[in-house]
Amino acid sequence: MSQPRTLPLLKRGFLGDIISLAVMIAIAVICFHFMPSNLSFFTRIIAIMLLVLAIDLVTGFTGIATLGHAALYGAGAYAAGIAAAKFGINDPILMLLIGVVAGAIMGLISSLVILRGHGLSQLVLSIAVVQLAREAANKFSGWTGGSDGLSGISPAPLFGTWRFDLWGRTSYWLAVVLLLVTFFLLRQLVRSPFGKLCQAIRQDPVRVRAMGAPVYLTQVKMYAISGAVAGLGGALSAVATKVVGLDSLSFELSAEAVVMLVLGGTANLFGAMIGSGVFMWFEHTMATINPYHWLTIVGALLVVVVLFAPRGLTGMAETLYNRLIGGLRK
Amino acid sequence: MKYLLQVTAAVALCAGVAHADVIKVGVVGPFSGGAALQGRNFQAGIEAYFALHGKTVGEHEIEVIYRDLPAADPGQSAALTQELIVGEGVQYLAGYYYTPDAMAAAPILEEANVPMVIFNAATSAIVNASPLVVRTSFTTFQTSTPMATVARERGISKAITVVSDYGPGIDAETAFVRAFGAAGGETVQSVRMPMTTVDFSPIMQRIKDSGAEAVFAFLPAGPQTLGFMTAFVENGLKDAGVQLLAPGDLTQESDLPVLGPNAAGMLTTFHYAVSHNSPENIAFIEAASNWLGNPDELSFPAVGAYDGMTVIARMIEATDGRQDAAAAVEAVKGMEWISPRGPVSINPENRHLTQNIYLREVAEVEGKWINHELQVFENQGDPGWVAP
Amino acid sequence: MQTILSIGVDAFAYGMVLFVISIGLSVTMGLMKFANLAHGAFAMIGGYVASYATQALGWHFGFALLAAVAACMVLAVPLERFLYRRFYGASELRQVLMTIGLTFMIIGIANWLMGPTLKTIALPPALQGPVDIGFRSVPAHKIFAAVVGLLVAIGLWLLIERTFFGVKLRAAVDDAPMAEALGIRTKIVYAISFSIAIGLAALGGVVGAQLLPIEPQYALHHMVTFLVVVSVGGAGSIGGALAACLILGTVKTTGSYLMPEFGNFFFYLAVIAIVAVFPNGLMGRAK
Repeated sequence: MSQPRTLPLLKRGFLGDIISLAVMIAIAVICFHFMPSNLSFFTRIIAIMLLVLAIDLVTGFTGIATLGHAALYGAGAYAAGIAAAKFGINDPILMLLIGVVAGAIMGLISSLVILRGHGLSQLVLSIAVVQLAREAANKFSGWTGGSDGLSGISPAPLFGTWRFDLWGRTSYWLAVVLLLVTFFLLRQLVRSPFGKLCQAIRQDPVRVRAMGAPVYLTQVKMYAISGAVAGLGGALSAVATKVVGLDSLSFELSAEAVVMLVLGGTANLFGAMIGSGVFMWFEHTMATINPYHWLTIVGALLVVVVLFAPRGLTGMAETLYNRLIGGLRK
Repeated sequence: MKYLLQVTAAVALCAGVAHADVIKVGVVGPFSGGAALQGRNFQAGIEAYFALHGKTVGEHEIEVIYRDLPAADPGQSAALTQELIVGEGVQYLAGYYYTPDAMAAAPILEEANVPMVIFNAATSAIVNASPLVVRTSFTTFQTSTPMATVARERGISKAITVVSDYGPGIDAETAFVRAFGAAGGETVQSVRMPMTTVDFSPIMQRIKDSGAEAVFAFLPAGPQTLGFMTAFVENGLKDAGVQLLAPGDLTQESDLPVLGPNAAGMLTTFHYAVSHNSPENIAFIEAASNWLGNPDELSFPAVGAYDGMTVIARMIEATDGRQDAAAAVEAVKGMEWISPRGPVSINPENRHLTQNIYLREVAEVEGKWINHELQVFENQGDPGWVAP
Repeated sequence: MQTILSIGVDAFAYGMVLFVISIGLSVTMGLMKFANLAHGAFAMIGGYVASYATQALGWHFGFALLAAVAACMVLAVPLERFLYRRFYGASELRQVLMTIGLTFMIIGIANWLMGPTLKTIALPPALQGPVDIGFRSVPAHKIFAAVVGLLVAIGLWLLIERTFFGVKLRAAVDDAPMAEALGIRTKIVYAISFSIAIGLAALGGVVGAQLLPIEPQYALHHMVTFLVVVSVGGAGSIGGALAACLILGTVKTTGSYLMPEFGNFFFYLAVIAIVAVFPNGLMGRAK
């Protein structure tokens, strides 16, 4: 795999993070004001964005291939949903925390299985994990509602003040804040020595091991962190949608999320967000214009992007940026 | 900032209020993906309604807005529903093929002041999710229960149930086992198969070994059902005289050209057969086939959609175009009419359709495979419904 | 005893069908190092061609089968030349993305051209109905699939291990520049191999259509099955793929018979167990 580089502008550490956060807030405010009818959809995008960010952590930064990350997302969604529907834990913040913990635990467990393989076998192990999780959720339908979905989730107003209303404003802003916080924390994480170690492992695990660093343990840790992020996404979707379905534990969702990541570009966190945003927005628009044949066009978009933007959309942006700067310097 | 917020809210509110002349109906259904044909049938039913009754109710014109939801995906369902209400300003929601999708849309109905008319999703509990839900399809309980009587009438005392391991399959199993036991029959085994089963030979072996005289089956229509029926014949169960029983989803008309010979003689109970002989149905089929282009694609979701539009038209008439969901739903409680499927009425208690369930046999008539109606169970309610 | 034999027969038949459908993917992933998730899409195209030829044109099954394989092999040439060739040696993720995109397109087009309904392939009378094998009967088409599977296994093994083309292919895979220097036209070798793999996909699609019926979602529905079989067997290994299919077929069939409600648990637990012990698959070459 060629070594993906971050945009030069965004390499500049903390200041870069602040600028990025400001840009993200600006986008969030613009979306809020100019597309108020799509707030539920944006909330959904952000939930999936968290899943894609989680995949970026293990695949982009640590080099672990996975087509089963929905197992972690679904664990968060079901844990939060079951807590609310069966145990009456309706506080949204508490539900999110439960989702984070469940996702991390699921990440820990599945890493023990997935790290047994490499390359193709790793992909297949991850698929087996998500399929098993789905089977289990279908089997224990008394807890999960099975294929009918888990309903009866009614989150209490956020901080006792903001109701989860029809317009989806509360869930939207909750989602935006969660995304900002997660993004900021993950930026610090990937720049930390731990994050650098993960990236070194992706490039050359043998050398890292020779240097005496714990490869396996680091990968397991990163997987658990990734699980927490994915679980947060799942729990957010449970809070916002009020129903959890088996689709949140599917191979299809896992594969689609990987597609979004590669579309955006791996290993810089921005790619994960841009990829999921662009993919879902494009799919949504196409499906609205032509409900029957949008799949063909989405497929064509994917092929075109891989052909002409080998490092994803962020890679393409970087190339353009470098060319522009190069042109100016002449 | 505060001002902007207010403006946004005001704009959103305006979009939700009724216009005097155009009434928007948002239809969510599977228009692509594995169930695309069922989505097409939603649209065929709606278009048939317009062809036969026109697009206007009084001075109000109906406009339908379609949204594609290819699979059971509650997150996407909630997003599409919200967008239809807030963005498009629909006054009625309709469609919904899968149960979780309907469940995800139900919690916002009251706040949005929008009734929802379900064209398909067949789990009994959906009507309890909101008092603004009305259903014009059927429930798996409703279509499966009469089969127990049929089995007993044909002298079957030992049966085995074989269902796909998911919500509708379990509903069908529960309904049949309960009714069959009450009628004095014995269910010797209940087998649940994974949804992804492609090779049904081992299942057929189990059926053979169980010594049952009849098999009650439920699988999702399409490849699964085709594989099951082929295996049933190939493994010699049909020749051994084992009777195959199922709710009519399995032998939907659009699959019959493919299932045909293997399904011959199979008994199903269901609320609608394309071959139903009534003037209402003949007019309906002509209109729906016109839109579909290929009459072989016509299937039961079309009639759910057609009757759904009948109900929505009555709601518009009763409220004279005003947006008043509670009054609209109130107006159709107890409503009776002649549907292409036969006489139907809306049960005021659970807002679900009371209708005839027909016993049918798969047969070849004039070179075409049909569900040939043999017997009627009149005015069946939903035995699976439990008051909340 | 009767039951065990019976399960054994079903397991063997199912395993061989799996083998016929997945072996083409094993060739692309193992020998050409290409994660071709569009494999199922080509199998589906083959199925559609055969279905159209037998149902609409009234062709004999044998001709339809040949036509399906030939059509897909011809289709493979421009696809390889203009699309796949650009991704040889690219990262697995990019290959996955490209082939998923291609799969989406093919599904959309199939839906548009052929409609969303199921399609069947008309079998000749000889392949319909049961065949008595002493203690029970087996559907004739399953025996046919098993025979085709064995023939394909032997044929491929001969092609790769015993012909000059096989030598060139293995050389091109192991060290393309060196092979090029030795006068092997690697581009042509790759193009032919790809075309053969796609032809095998089409063959599998047609022969396996009785168990995996042809419909637009085919390519997505069975993607996981194909990947699992290839990985458990070890990509590129014909014997491995055969062993994997028979083992997985046995697990699935026994599970379906004894405890159908837990059928898939056993299947995926077996996959995890095997891959955890043999990370390169049963007979895969270590990397």
